[in-house]
Amino acid sequence: MKYIFSLLFLFSFFVFSQEFSPKNGVEDSKTAYYFLTNATIIVSPTKTIDGGSLLIKDHEIIEIGKSISAPKNAVIVDCQGKTIVAAFIETYSSVGLPEPTSKGFSFQPQIETSKKGAYYWNESIHPETDPSLVYSINEKANEELIKMGFGIAVTHIQDGIARGNGSLISLGSSSENKHLLKPASASYFSFKPGISNQTYPSSQMGSIALLRQTFYDLQWYSHATKKDQNLSLNALEKQTSLPMIFFTEDKWEILRAAKIGNEFNYHFTFFGSGNEYAAVNQLKNLKGSLIIPINFPAPFDLKDPYIAKDVNLSDLKTWDLAPSNPFILKENKINFSISSYGNKSQDEFWKNLHKAISKGLSPADALNALTVEPAKLLKIDHEFGTLDKGKKASFMIYDSNPFTTKAKLLEAWLLGERKVITTLPKHDIRGKYNLFLDGKKYPMEITGTPDKLNVKIQTLKTGISKTDTIYPNTFVQLVENDLTLQFNVDDANFDGSINLHAKVNSKLGIFEGDGYLPSGKWIQWSAIRNDKPETKKEDLSIKIDTNGISNPWFPNVAYGLDSVPTKQTIAFINATVWTNEAEGILQNATVIVNNGLIVYVGDSNHLLPLNAKVINARGKFLTSGIIDEHSHIAISKGVNEGGQVISAEVNIGEVLNSDDINIYRQLSGGVTAAQLLHGSANAIGGQSALIKLKWGHSPDELLIPNAPKFIKFALGENVKQSNFGDFNTTRFPQTRMGVEQVFYDGFKRAETYQNEWKHSKKSSDGLHNHHLHRDLELDVLSEILNGERFITCHSYVQSEILMLMKVADSMGFKINTFTHILEGYKVADKMALHGAAASTFADWWAYKYEVNDAIPYNAKLMADNGLLVSINSDDAEMGRRLNQEAAKSVKYGGMSEIEAWKMVTLNPAKILHLDNKMGSIKIGKDADLVLWSDNPLSIKAKVEYTIIDGEILYSLEQDKLLQARNELEKGRIISKMMESTENGETPKPFAKKRRKHFHCDTIGEEGSEGANTH
Amino acid sequence: MKTKIILIYFFIFLGTNLFSQKKYNSILLENGYLHVGNGQVLETSLIGIKNGKIVLVKNVLAYTYNKSDWDTIIDLKGQQVYPGFVAPNSTLGLTEIEAVRASNDFREIGEFNPHVRAQIAYNAESNVLSTIKTNGVLITQPCPRGEVISGSSAVMYTAGWNWQDATVKADDGIHLNWPRSIEYRGKKNENYETQKREIYQFFESAKAYSEVSESDKNDFRFESMRNCFKGEKRVYIHANSIQQLLDIIDFAKKLNLTFPVIVGGYDSYLILQKLRDAAIPVMLPRVHSLPENEEDPTDLPYKLPYLLQAGGVKFCLQNEGDMEAMQSRNIPFLAGTAMAYGLTEEEAIRSISLSSCEIMGVGKTNGSVEEGKDATFFISSGNALDMRTNNIVLAFVNGKIISLNNSQMELYKKYTEKLKK
Repeated sequence: MKYIFSLLFLFSFFVFSQEFSPKNGVEDSKTAYYFLTNATIIVSPTKTIDGGSLLIKDHEIIEIGKSISAPKNAVIVDCQGKTIVAAFIETYSSVGLPEPTSKGFSFQPQIETSKKGAYYWNESIHPETDPSLVYSINEKANEELIKMGFGIAVTHIQDGIARGNGSLISLGSSSENKHLLKPASASYFSFKPGISNQTYPSSQMGSIALLRQTFYDLQWYSHATKKDQNLSLNALEKQTSLPMIFFTEDKWEILRAAKIGNEFNYHFTFFGSGNEYAAVNQLKNLKGSLIIPINFPAPFDLKDPYIAKDVNLSDLKTWDLAPSNPFILKENKINFSISSYGNKSQDEFWKNLHKAISKGLSPADALNALTVEPAKLLKIDHEFGTLDKGKKASFMIYDSNPFTTKAKLLEAWLLGERKVITTLPKHDIRGKYNLFLDGKKYPMEITGTPDKLNVKIQTLKTGISKTDTIYPNTFVQLVENDLTLQFNVDDANFDGSINLHAKVNSKLGIFEGDGYLPSGKWIQWSAIRNDKPETKKEDLSIKIDTNGISNPWFPNVAYGLDSVPTKQTIAFINATVWTNEAEGILQNATVIVNNGLIVYVGDSNHLLPLNAKVINARGKFLTSGIIDEHSHIAISKGVNEGGQVISAEVNIGEVLNSDDINIYRQLSGGVTAAQLLHGSANAIGGQSALIKLKWGHSPDELLIPNAPKFIKFALGENVKQSNFGDFNTTRFPQTRMGVEQVFYDGFKRAETYQNEWKHSKKSSDGLHNHHLHRDLELDVLSEILNGERFITCHSYVQSEILMLMKVADSMGFKINTFTHILEGYKVADKMALHGAAASTFADWWAYKYEVNDAIPYNAKLMADNGLLVSINSDDAEMGRRLNQEAAKSVKYGGMSEIEAWKMVTLNPAKILHLDNKMGSIKIGKDADLVLWSDNPLSIKAKVEYTIIDGEILYSLEQDKLLQARNELEKGRIISKMMESTENGETPKPFAKKRRKHFHCDTIGEEGSEGANTH
Repeated sequence: MKTKIILIYFFIFLGTNLFSQKKYNSILLENGYLHVGNGQVLETSLIGIKNGKIVLVKNVLAYTYNKSDWDTIIDLKGQQVYPGFVAPNSTLGLTEIEAVRASNDFREIGEFNPHVRAQIAYNAESNVLSTIKTNGVLITQPCPRGEVISGSSAVMYTAGWNWQDATVKADDGIHLNWPRSIEYRGKKNENYETQKREIYQFFESAKAYSEVSESDKNDFRFESMRNCFKGEKRVYIHANSIQQLLDIIDFAKKLNLTFPVIVGGYDSYLILQKLRDAAIPVMLPRVHSLPENEEDPTDLPYKLPYLLQAGGVKFCLQNEGDMEAMQSRNIPFLAGTAMAYGLTEEEAIRSISLSSCEIMGVGKTNGSVEEGKDATFFISSGNALDMRTNNIVLAFVNGKIISLNNSQMELYKKYTEKLKK
């Protein structure tokens, strides 16, 4: 039955006619049955049939097995030596759809939606997007996916936060009517606003808040009786019962999306980014399944050590571990589907899939992740995913097992439509021949590979004194069994071009055909093989090697720890202890830590626990950890949601980044806790996160349990966008006059909102009152009115400070903290009356107009007037020298050392209402301790140990070890990278991620590099 | 007339007014703990000033002198004497409030601006400047910022009536911003070689120009660079990465620059030998900054001064970066941190006094408290490198006692009074 294969490019048969379209001519002919036989059929990840057969009618598998027979009217396809695998299912594709196009950049901020129609108010929420309306078959794009082994895909327009439907398609090319299987098969979400030019959201926390608000809007909309029409919400309502696929760009984003899922009881499937291996402990408990890409990063070109030196270790670690991601997830019993997303070609896809397999992912698991898992999550497993009887005839025929060898895809069968991709390998005509041309004999050798032949024809040129052997350049082309040869000869026989064509009999090694001689004579010619070379079979099998897999660190960056740190029992002996309590400074004292708490503070006559790590602190100073009241480290993708003037709904705590190297750097400066604040780009910013700098832990573990709630407010130049360039002149407010009105308006709305809720009853489930429309922004403002949330307000000049206190007094709430507060000294008396605390810089000024009257005596003057004062950093660099910043108040104004020290420890603890746990060395408080080489306010003081909750997270000794280990690891991975480059991987040019830091005024998801105005 | 004064803690407020009314021509300072600035210490010093110059530096215990030779004698027992600290490579005096465009005078238009001069834009009356001297920083170097060659800097006192009076040295050097071998965004700079070639061409032309006598002054740019090849004028080359630094060593050699200086030099610790051999000094990056690379030791910026000291490379500290003008008053504490991370106290002091002056070409007259030098130094009641004890009670600039008052102190006084009521 070989003749079937020798048919050149069998194009798709129209198995079905188009059901409703009138026919031009008579009905298309149909093949009744196809019978594929003698194949190795991988039915499912757990079942393979050798020498099996497959009977297909129309688009269905009628029968499968070893001992089935073909009906008489079946076309028989011999699949001897070939492997049949179910078509893969792509869950994340945009095949056949138009690219989303942006309206283009404009300097003028666009605050409201520009989309006409009865849609949602934000352009990044467009669940009404229906790709099936614009789907058209793109054969080229289909073929690329087919060559990767995919036969089915869900395609959607990859833009926005609520992106709309994904349509299930088969990758066949006969007609959209047949291959568009399900217009609404899944719905897609992300944190990326996409092409929307609307200012909101401009940060990931904004995206989170917007999506949550949208879902609350939907909850209300679904139950509301009196409502306006909203086409977006109509669409979204239907989508919540579809598989909901959430696109993410980092392992921690999966956890962020999962929280939203849990809040609304939606079962998201998470589309990952490939670094999930660094979060297996958290992902083990994930509700909902994962889709992971296998677009493993390319190696960097690091031949030049001056470049290698600048590559971040974390980027190297990522490269090293990425191909092990599937294996590590499986090892940890985390299920996933695999997507081709990010692979630009079939070669890249297969190379990466094989890489994953070589790193330990079993072929069965790989197949499962490409077929059964995605079929289940799309709820199409009754039709697709395996080759069982009754399922759709969508499968691929390879020349060998594609999971264990570098196989060739021969045919794709898509809903029973046959598409030949590669014909059988060409005849192997390599060998030594005698070529007979018009009675003349020429020795000829054919070498090379079957794909790329090389022909050497020996001719002799006789000169005056000697005869030269010449091998003319020869053109050769072999298509199926048609051979074309052309070469130029200059010898005794001919002078000019010889053009030949022949039919090949490769078995016998004979070519026979016709051609032109230089004389123009038409001849018959032949060639006969006299020697066949021994051909070495190319080894195409995939080598499996799990030995080289390194472990991710915690976090997986330089200075990451080998394991998640744990609480230790520690005893400091002979220490000078600055208690910050009534005892003051203790000499030669012992402090014992157990189970994360301080359990003993006192003289050295105390028995030390047997298991304690004893640290002799003779000559050293033990203090409680520094608390930075104002910090912006460890935050992902945006510190400001400046898209709206009130963004109380956003929460820094939802976008923590525990991988930030600045956590470690600040530990080296004795910082143990910080308030991570929203920026100051708007009057009412976002909710703060109160964290401990728990290096090695996950984002949620940074959060201080049961910490009081805080929110950032801001006043002055940043709020009115004074220093944001000449185009930012359209958002209200542009003056301090306007800022006041923003507050009145916000809190008035909150009051009204609260009253509505108070006067309504809860629904039967006791949780949500569907009749009332929940507003996340007003929820938070209500918390402020109810005294459940504290305010930290960015402020500079006296006028605005007084203004806000007046607003607060009249609306019945309090300002807990004024931060920056550089003119606090002018109104310290009034602040004391209001009861506000102050958190300020030691000596910053002159960076913008509103800090012209800032003075370094501010802290001292405010403290003298009875205010609770702390010194903060607002800066990743200064954050690790807060001891020095506190010491400046000794210089400026003559504050006592103890009072100065309290400004970075006990006072911020009190300001943050955490002083029951932190801020001093006292039995029962958290073991957040720092051991200093010297008086902590001294310029000479260095941190020797930083301990949080009894975990040693930094020590001089450990730091040395980690530096040495970083070096080794960098060397190891660079070597490995160079090796992989030698083995044929294409390196990508070096691109270093610059360190970027968030400041108060940083807009957008990227950190700033240049000057900033805080 | 002879005045005997014992310095007291709040001398700043009382004393300076007193001094400003009188002229003192010969002053003798007794018993101060003197940090000379060159690495030496005199625990019981005797310092004599006449006509603005330091005429006497001796150990009080080993020197006999006649008190009547001096019209003012000040006893510094328990006080420390330091050479005026230096804030090189700064925009001090060229900006008041960075966010207010009208107050900025440090960035000119144009790629090659060696002829643009900072000296004449220096605002001696700047409020920011007034807060700098109060911490012991008495000399600064206003520098134009900009594109390839940003302009000529000058060495200036932080106190003076106007730029003319405040000048220590005009046009001490030009500032060349070496192209980045790796761009801001982190990509390799594909145009690096081209940009380098442009600089070579410009300097080669300038050098050729300098071969002809000065009477031919017809090109402002090249004229301003004449002394870079023939005289004492510095070429300050701003760069950090190893690739840049090695290229700069080559450049300085090929162009035969008389005084090349590297400003920045984060990677300098990797090529100590080469820098030493080439005798190129380094103005190190701000000590209080974060490491450049993720895996760099967290304290690398703190340790760089020590690494260069140990490697025998001449260096001083500077403070370029965020809020650099206002932050100049923290220069003493940068040296303090460098001391905590390896330098001796005297080495740390030298790195913000004599070394800085030597590098800028004013070391013969400034930078240390030695006989024959200009009297620019100060007295602190405690260790001036530690923020707790940095407390300047008396300061001389070019032999004159300067007011240590500033606008911030005025506000402090005003609101101390107000809040008492």
